[in-house]
Amino acid sequence: MRATLRRLSVLLPLLSLAGAAEAHPHVWITAVSELLYAPDGSLTGVRHAWTFDDMFASYALQGLETKIKGVYTREELAPLADTNVEALKEYAYFTYARADGGKKEKFSEPVDYFLDYRDGQLTLHFTLPLKTPLKAKQLSLEVFDPTFFVDFQLAKTDPVKLVGAPAGCQMAFQRPNDGTAVAQKLNEQTFMNGGENANYGAMFANKITVDCP
Amino acid sequence: MSQARFACGILACTAVLAAVLAADGAIHAIMAQTPFGGPRPPAEPQIGGIVGWLLARQSEFYREISATIRAAKSDGSAVWTLLVISFAYGIFHAAGPGHGKAVISSYLVANQETARRGIVLSFASALMQALVAVLIVSVGAWLLNATAKTMCGAEKAIEIGSYALIAAFGARLVWTKGGSFIRALQASRPEPALAMAAHHHHHGHDRPHAHHDHDGHVHDEHCGHSHGPEPSELAGPRGWRRGLGAVVAVGARPCSGAILVLVFALAQGLFWAGVAATFVMGLGTAITVATIAVLAVSAKDVARRLSAAGEGGGTLIMRGIEFGAAGLVLLLGSGLLFGYIASERVTCF
Repeated sequence: MRATLRRLSVLLPLLSLAGAAEAHPHVWITAVSELLYAPDGSLTGVRHAWTFDDMFASYALQGLETKIKGVYTREELAPLADTNVEALKEYAYFTYARADGGKKEKFSEPVDYFLDYRDGQLTLHFTLPLKTPLKAKQLSLEVFDPTFFVDFQLAKTDPVKLVGAPAGCQMAFQRPNDGTAVAQKLNEQTFMNGGENANYGAMFANKITVDCP
Repeated sequence: MSQARFACGILACTAVLAAVLAADGAIHAIMAQTPFGGPRPPAEPQIGGIVGWLLARQSEFYREISATIRAAKSDGSAVWTLLVISFAYGIFHAAGPGHGKAVISSYLVANQETARRGIVLSFASALMQALVAVLIVSVGAWLLNATAKTMCGAEKAIEIGSYALIAAFGARLVWTKGGSFIRALQASRPEPALAMAAHHHHHGHDRPHAHHDHDGHVHDEHCGHSHGPEPSELAGPRGWRRGLGAVVAVGARPCSGAILVLVFALAQGLFWAGVAATFVMGLGTAITVATIAVLAVSAKDVARRLSAAGEGGGTLIMRGIEFGAAGLVLLLGSGLLFGYIASERVTCF
């Protein structure tokens, strides 16, 4: 009997792997992010603009009352933006910041958020303030969904901007299809939080780094 | 001696699981060579291996669905393309090791089911899944014009309900299969400690589902032979009612992808095209799930033949495998329910 249990405990990781492989995206987000700096050179937060794919946009807009059919004003979209921002909290806003390779930094609740609908595209804008502004020689910011229900892609042109960053800061970003990031991320992430499952999406992370002198 | 036999049983059990997993991988590999059409998006993730490839393919098909529905508005012939893409998506979607497939396969292994029943159960559960998706969207979005938030809430409730159903279904299987397993153990090794344990589970005896048990007998008349389906099992309404549990447990939870496609089609004024796509998707899913289910049943047959070669240990080993499979259903159900296995979940935002 004990042997059976032992055998089952060996099989469990396999099961979790199965769960991981099942996850695949149903929502695609094209992301543009601005890193906001205070005059003293510390990072205060991130401003995201996330554009949803058209299928998810239809789903999100389903049942919303509008004055003119097919036209959604910022006011009409406000309740949906509330829902979005509220729901994103559970997923840590899919945004993970680390200073000098340290722990994940904490974010406060989003401010200045709204949805806009233009040319058939639904975009969520929100600012994510850091709980405590930070100064770092090397800052890393990752945007991804660990379970890969949402597939984040950085926008094709100028996806990352530094706003008010000290002179001499160098920004670089890696898209998930840049093969070099993958192996590294797998090592780091899979073992940190125990289980391939929880961090499966890390393979698809967009990683932004800022090096400041 | 009985310990060696026991170890042999565990080995056989592992072999079945390994075979299922390997077969799963093989299917991925086979499909990797199928040149399903469609232009590749410029930014294809280069995540290595079969899983990465599978994900890339799924994403492609899925994203083409929305483009095709749009196209169908002006060009009716695009509906055919839509159906082909949806079918392919269904096949690929189910090819990733998903819980529905695991539940059905484990159920088939736990109950001495036939491949034919496996196929029927796979199709029935996929059909039910499609029906539930169409029902949710036609009532929720079309009739009531509910918002995404409301619909997503409903989806979440159904999801939790279906996971609970799988867990309950698994618990029942464990209860009945555990009884037979312990009786088989008791018969092969009547030691005091085990007799106690067996006594503990004695309540299991009078359950209606224990009809496969060979109370106290080590020798199974089916030993060494392929256990063919008993006609009463296949045709009788009782036999089908037994499988209904699996169908409902797996089929109650709609696929998020189907819901999104349906709502999108509705918004584009082509709801019927979305409905057609959903059913074709279900057909694709059913084919994949049925393939895996048949493989699982065949693997068990192999294990039975192998284990029967040993002296008299066949019954114990087979009961052990069945018990293990039942446990797997319970583990999957409770894992999904309590979020240990983050399967494809409904994300409301």
